[in-house]
Amino acid sequence: MKIRPVSLLGFMVGMVAFVVVLVPSLVILIESVSSHERIFSLQAYETVFASRVARQALMRTFEIAIAVTLISIVAGYPLAFAIAASKPRARSLLLACVIFPFLLSAVVRAFGWNIVIGETGLINKVLLGLGLIDTPIQMLHSEFAIILGEAHLLIPYMVLSLLAVIQRIDPNVEAAAQSLGATPPNVFFRVMVPMTLPGLSAGTLLVFALAMTAFATPWLLGGTRSPVMTSLLYRYAFVSFDMPRALAVAGILLIIGIAFLLLHRAITHDGSVREQAA
Amino acid sequence: MSYRPADLMLRGWHLAVTCLVGFWVVFLLAPIVVAVAVSFTATEYPVFPPQGISLRWYANALSSSWFRESLAVSAVVALAATTLSVLLGTSGAYVLSRRGVPGQRLLEFVLMSPLIIPSVAIGFALFHLVVQFGLQKISFINLVIAHAVVTLPFILRPVWASLIGSNRSLEEAALSLGATPWEAFRHVTLPAVLPGVVAGAIISFTFSFNDVTVAVFLVGPTTKTLPVELMSQIEYTPDPTPAAITAIIMAITFIFFMVVERTVGLKIFARSE
Repeated sequence: MKIRPVSLLGFMVGMVAFVVVLVPSLVILIESVSSHERIFSLQAYETVFASRVARQALMRTFEIAIAVTLISIVAGYPLAFAIAASKPRARSLLLACVIFPFLLSAVVRAFGWNIVIGETGLINKVLLGLGLIDTPIQMLHSEFAIILGEAHLLIPYMVLSLLAVIQRIDPNVEAAAQSLGATPPNVFFRVMVPMTLPGLSAGTLLVFALAMTAFATPWLLGGTRSPVMTSLLYRYAFVSFDMPRALAVAGILLIIGIAFLLLHRAITHDGSVREQAA
Repeated sequence: MSYRPADLMLRGWHLAVTCLVGFWVVFLLAPIVVAVAVSFTATEYPVFPPQGISLRWYANALSSSWFRESLAVSAVVALAATTLSVLLGTSGAYVLSRRGVPGQRLLEFVLMSPLIIPSVAIGFALFHLVVQFGLQKISFINLVIAHAVVTLPFILRPVWASLIGSNRSLEEAALSLGATPWEAFRHVTLPAVLPGVVAGAIISFTFSFNDVTVAVFLVGPTTKTLPVELMSQIEYTPDPTPAAITAIIMAITFIFFMVVERTVGLKIFARSE
């Protein structure tokens, strides 16, 4: 059989990505389920779950991811519909407000949040000035701070997921519902929302997966008092040099992340340009 | 003038929606605006609203060696990673757009896998490999390769889309009319894919320049990128210097953002979520 140069090129490019992304992840998964004595053992996972700090971190990570996902839905709908309904100029301005923060480093944004919610920060100053509180509220280094920061990080993903679906809705549908006497809330909740469900489920899977595995934001805003799974991973690897536990935590993050993101890809088909062209 | 109840309701609804959208826009912009404002304060500590106006924190940032060194590392890493990513991504897109190449589905899956595996896991997994093979000394190369592969999908998608969109038979026509493969590529294929390559390259550069999650696992003592260095400096710097550096990073990112907006448009993000 003759091998075409294009096949060879594809093989080489694929190998680079395979060796750099898939092989290391597979190594992590395999090593996390083997110990010195036995080829297969869940000992590392058992020691992680035996630790109260780790169990709390896992629960905290789930709570935060659920809260962040709900906030991103609440924020995503008005923003996505406003973008879809605006005239070109307002539309690109709104889109810019959503996408520019999306490009910024998590460190940069966390620094901004530090000043907004810090002890001498903006919110405390306003509340003190209004006489609503007597002493500054401690908002930094808490779950609240992490939720705020991750919501800021992930709202754009929800907006873009919803927008992809909203743009495909025929504008006549809304007009028809209105002319048939549906009130605006009815048009929105009973006509528009059901049509956006594919975008909503895609956005939910994506935001949840990214919230579970976010690293820099919880690290900077949660501090050491509210560790999540990713900060635990960093601590095991770089502070306590506990590689078996680090591998197990990485294994948990990998499985959760891959499961949700594969599901997301399966329902959007968005990754495949081939389908768009077909 | 009287309104029908339905009109009132419509107005009330529009007002409520406008307020909600306004609230979330403020939420998205608040940390950015606040950080930039604070960088101009004349006080010795970060405070909002800033008191007085001063550029001293910018002067302070520019004169600090850790800022200049990590900025240089970040710029070189981002540039090298983007170059490598463009080479791999356009080659990958080319192979995916040809007909009758075996294993295209598998190749697509492998090249898109950075979007499926969490960044923190990619970072940690590479760190684990680096330690096992004792590759810490070449941390610069590790960073470049990691960023290049993680940003592969950003190049692959727009280029692949424009290759499929452009008429494939054009290149074959050029070839049959006597063009060399290089000429056919240079005059037919390249102009079709260039906008996608440029957009993908800018997004890749911006990603690499802003990344912490992958970089934090791979940097060495002399190869700390700007966001990673900033992350540790924020804790030990009580004055507003980090605010000035934050504002500089934002400004650089904003320039790239505007280039994308003006050239290919923000649609590219809406499509590539």
